[in-house]
Amino acid sequence: MMKVTVLFFGQTAEIAGKREVEMLFAESTAANVAFAKIVEQYPKLSENKLLFAVNQTYANGDEIINHGDELAVFTAVSGG
Amino acid sequence: MKETEKRQDFCELTTKPLNVGEIARRIVLPECGATVTLDGYVRQWTKGRETLYLEYEAYESMALKEMKKLVASVRERFEISAIGIVHRLGRMEIGETSVVISVSAPHRKPAFEACELLITELKRTVPIWKKEFYVGGEVWVQGEQPQS
Repeated sequence: MMKVTVLFFGQTAEIAGKREVEMLFAESTAANVAFAKIVEQYPKLSENKLLFAVNQTYANGDEIINHGDELAVFTAVSGG
Repeated sequence: MKETEKRQDFCELTTKPLNVGEIARRIVLPECGATVTLDGYVRQWTKGRETLYLEYEAYESMALKEMKKLVASVRERFEISAIGIVHRLGRMEIGETSVVISVSAPHRKPAFEACELLITELKRTVPIWKKEFYVGGEVWVQGEQPQS
C-alpha cells in the first residue's frame, strides 16, 4: 500500500470537516480511482462539481499515483 | 528564453493590504512606455445582493505554479515586457483590493490585451476561492470550470 496526502480547500474543506487527510491506496492506482474513493469517503463532496489535482497540477484522471503524492479536491476556483 | 525577457516578472500571494501603485511601478523598464494595471477590489452589490465582506483562501503552492504558467503563456503571445501579479488572501472589506495585475510594454495596446487575458485566465485556473458574506448568509463562490 502507498500513503498519499489529500488536501481540501474552501467548500470541500467545509464538507470534509478537515483540510488534510492521509489515505492508503494500492500500488499503481490511477488518479480517477483514488479520487472516486475520496468522494466515496465524503459523499457530500459529490453535490458539487469537483476539480482534482495531483502534485499541484490539474489531473485528468489517468495519472498513476505514487507513494507520497499530494492529491487535492476542490470546487471551481473563484479568485480575482 | 533570454534572461532579460523574464527579469521583472513576479507572482505573489500575501495577506497584507495591496499597494497598487507600488506594485505597478515594479515593472517599469527603460524600454517600456506604458503599464496597464487591473485593480480588482471587493464589490458591495452583485445582482441586487449586498456583500458585507469576502474571505479568500488559496492552495498556495499550486496557485503560484498556475500563476507562473499563466505568465509564461501570456508573455509568449504579446509584445510586452513584464508581468506582475499579486493576489491578497484573508478577509477583505468593500473596496479593498484583492488582486493586482500589471503589464508593462513598449506600447500600450498589447499590454491592455495581455492584462485582460491574465485576469480572465486567473479567475478560471488559479486555485483561489472566495467566501462571500452577505446580508443574511454566506456562500463559497464557485467560478467557471477550467477546460482541462
